[in-house]
Amino acid sequence: MLRYVLRRGVLALLVALTVSVATFFLLNFATDPAQALAGEDATPEVVAQIRAQYGFDKPLAVQYGHWIAGLAHGDFGDSYHWRSPVGALIASHAPVTIRLALMAIVVTIVIAIPLGAIAALRPNSFADRIALALAVGAQAVPGFWLGLMLIILLAVKFPIFPVSGDSTWRHFVLPAIVLGASSVPSVMRLTRAGLIDVLASDYVRTARAKGMRGMQLVTRHAMRNAMLPVVNVLAVQLGHKLGGSVIVESVFALNGLGRLALQSILGGDVPTVQMLVFVFALTFVALTFAADLLGAWLDPRIRLG
Amino acid sequence: MLDDDAIRDRGIPKMILRNARAVALAVLAAVPLAIARPAAAAKSDDTLVVALQRGITSVDYLYTTKREYIILSQLTDDGLFDVNPVTLEVEPLAARSYKWVDDTTLDVTLREGIRFHDGSPFTADDVAYTYNYVIDPKSHANRSRQFAEWLAGATKTGPLTVRFKLRYPYPLALRAMGGSMPLRKKGAYDDLAKTGGKALGQTLNGIGPYRVVSVEPGRKTVIERFDGYYKDSPKGRPAIKRMVFREVPDWGTQQAELMSGGVQWTYDVPYDIAESLGSTHQVTFVNGPSLRVGFIVLDAAGLTGKDNPLTRRDVRRAIIHAINRPAIVKNIEKGDSQVIDSACHPAQFGCAQDVMKYPYDPARARELLKAAGYPNGFSFDLWAYREKDAAEAIAADLAKVGVTAKLRYVQLPTLDEARRKHEIPAYFGSWESGSIADTAAIAAVHWSDTTDRNMSGDKRVTEYMIGAQKTTDAKKRAALYEKGLKLIAEEAYWVPLYTFSLNYLVSNDLDFKPPKDGLPRLYLAKWK
Repeated sequence: MLRYVLRRGVLALLVALTVSVATFFLLNFATDPAQALAGEDATPEVVAQIRAQYGFDKPLAVQYGHWIAGLAHGDFGDSYHWRSPVGALIASHAPVTIRLALMAIVVTIVIAIPLGAIAALRPNSFADRIALALAVGAQAVPGFWLGLMLIILLAVKFPIFPVSGDSTWRHFVLPAIVLGASSVPSVMRLTRAGLIDVLASDYVRTARAKGMRGMQLVTRHAMRNAMLPVVNVLAVQLGHKLGGSVIVESVFALNGLGRLALQSILGGDVPTVQMLVFVFALTFVALTFAADLLGAWLDPRIRLG
Repeated sequence: MLDDDAIRDRGIPKMILRNARAVALAVLAAVPLAIARPAAAAKSDDTLVVALQRGITSVDYLYTTKREYIILSQLTDDGLFDVNPVTLEVEPLAARSYKWVDDTTLDVTLREGIRFHDGSPFTADDVAYTYNYVIDPKSHANRSRQFAEWLAGATKTGPLTVRFKLRYPYPLALRAMGGSMPLRKKGAYDDLAKTGGKALGQTLNGIGPYRVVSVEPGRKTVIERFDGYYKDSPKGRPAIKRMVFREVPDWGTQQAELMSGGVQWTYDVPYDIAESLGSTHQVTFVNGPSLRVGFIVLDAAGLTGKDNPLTRRDVRRAIIHAINRPAIVKNIEKGDSQVIDSACHPAQFGCAQDVMKYPYDPARARELLKAAGYPNGFSFDLWAYREKDAAEAIAADLAKVGVTAKLRYVQLPTLDEARRKHEIPAYFGSWESGSIADTAAIAAVHWSDTTDRNMSGDKRVTEYMIGAQKTTDAKKRAALYEKGLKLIAEEAYWVPLYTFSLNYLVSNDLDFKPPKDGLPRLYLAKWK
């Protein structure tokens, strides 16, 4: 088990490093950080001043070498755009994204799993069709549109929630609904398919023979086995959401990691983008690993086999 | 519904369960009331909330350049001089008076009674310190090189008097010593110098009409009227007590915030959005001028190839005649935008208007093309990095006279790089001049003999347009600009297109007048 964990850890590090190399060179080829920092109307003297000040005039390999050397010493570098240490910057933006991601996952679970269960209990019934229609609808609706519609309805017409910002929990409700809705279709369909399979199994037939029916049967016996693929998908979805949702965070003016990534890319802030990509890659690998462990806990056959 | 037995078995009060549906509805109705947010307050608590697409990351304008920082710096900082928003003339601000001893020596006397936001008095020591700090390359201030180019240094000559020595006569000196140079307390950057010159910019001790209360980088910045602000300031005492600068990146969200009262002022809004929201009468749409001008630079020098059709004067003139600039202004730019004939903004000093004009005339364009040896037209790459709609309209106009303009729409750094390599035969550019109402602000960047933006290959243009900034004699300067601008128009080195306008959306409670130079001065805003 320990060897397995170590192997996965080294692999994660290699993935993150590869992604960071690609990010660094692509970003530098695609944009001129000095121009991005100076702004559109900056004079050539100002741009030259910034280029020299931040060492953008040095070869890319040297610049990357400096970053890696710093990383090895625990120095994540300083942000050009924000003029503060990258580590502190990420730490200050992460709580917003974590809060949003967790709330969004709760929204997904609360909507998708009951819908999937209802659909599975009566396949091809009217309820199943409605659930499928909702899932397809949620998949088809773009996040920015849903966000703006919710804002108009629940923040402007009926001012229940704030339009934008992230200072209280109420600021997170609308963005969590938008972000959570995007994961509903996949989780709902997997729940439905998993439950239909499990409900056709022998041990469920036995439970039925003992008089168990409806949701009681689902929650007590079927759900645990049907949840295996769902847990894996939820882990991936949580990874996506922890990676920051650029659109949702922009529409609702949430200062999370997604917004930070966008601002840093637009501002040519290479150290921040690099570190964010590194963190996102590590988060993904860690969550996938956690999903494997959870799967083993849910299904003894996995951990025993 | 639960039956009576179930209710009894579970010991649930009968009344509630018998009316479960009604209770559920009541709870649902109560939820919004319970969590409803209080009505947005603005006028009532004297707080103006400003929405910005890009958040403020530093409040120190010595280390920033972009527009939103200039707007903020107008509130928190004062320079020695300032541009009068009505006349656009330079006037003393923190300076009480000034005197040119000779072309390169300027004596400035400061106003008495000015205090920094921390309550300490503002003196000549602070002025000399700020200027000498900025021109020191070790400061890494963003405009360090710009100032060091013409300023040799500043010396305290008395408690409230400072002498500035210039390297050469520089006509824009007083303008540069205005908004571009906020004043700092002596020693303000001593610690910063030790940390390699990186300004954190999360606090500020300035002398402007507002003091910085808090900064949450990229999220919001709060400023409050400074009670110790000097009473004889030409800026006057601001009417609004507190301002909050919030980052709201999405236009749709900005609109919703304006409609719900969460935001009271935003700017640089796309015309269609501003017009549409203004028509609802929930907010006020204000359109005003900007000093930004749009233009096309043509490779007259043949940098991209000696046989380049754009090296022919008649071809360049044909291009200007072929573009329906009034239609672009009317249908695309709209608002306060206007067609220009000179290579500058008409509101700028020295921007002569008596130059050769090219009305929209496709027939004349075809004649000129024929005379130049291109009766069937030709094809060239037109590079652009913004104003896509206008660039497409221009390409369509040129197609009508047989000229194919292949649009190369790219990011600004890509365009800059290609221009450095002489790969661009023509590009659609724009310049805002830093809101400086002087032709020098656009000429210095576009017509020197060292910049790749100058694709005229004509030394006379540099001689006139750059020569005008080597003298402080206003008449001589105006005459040189006139010669230069006439030459540029006659030779059609540029296609002067139009001025831009700026769109603001403001709360109906707010009295805000659009500035003539496109630089909003929020200290003049007041509640209705």
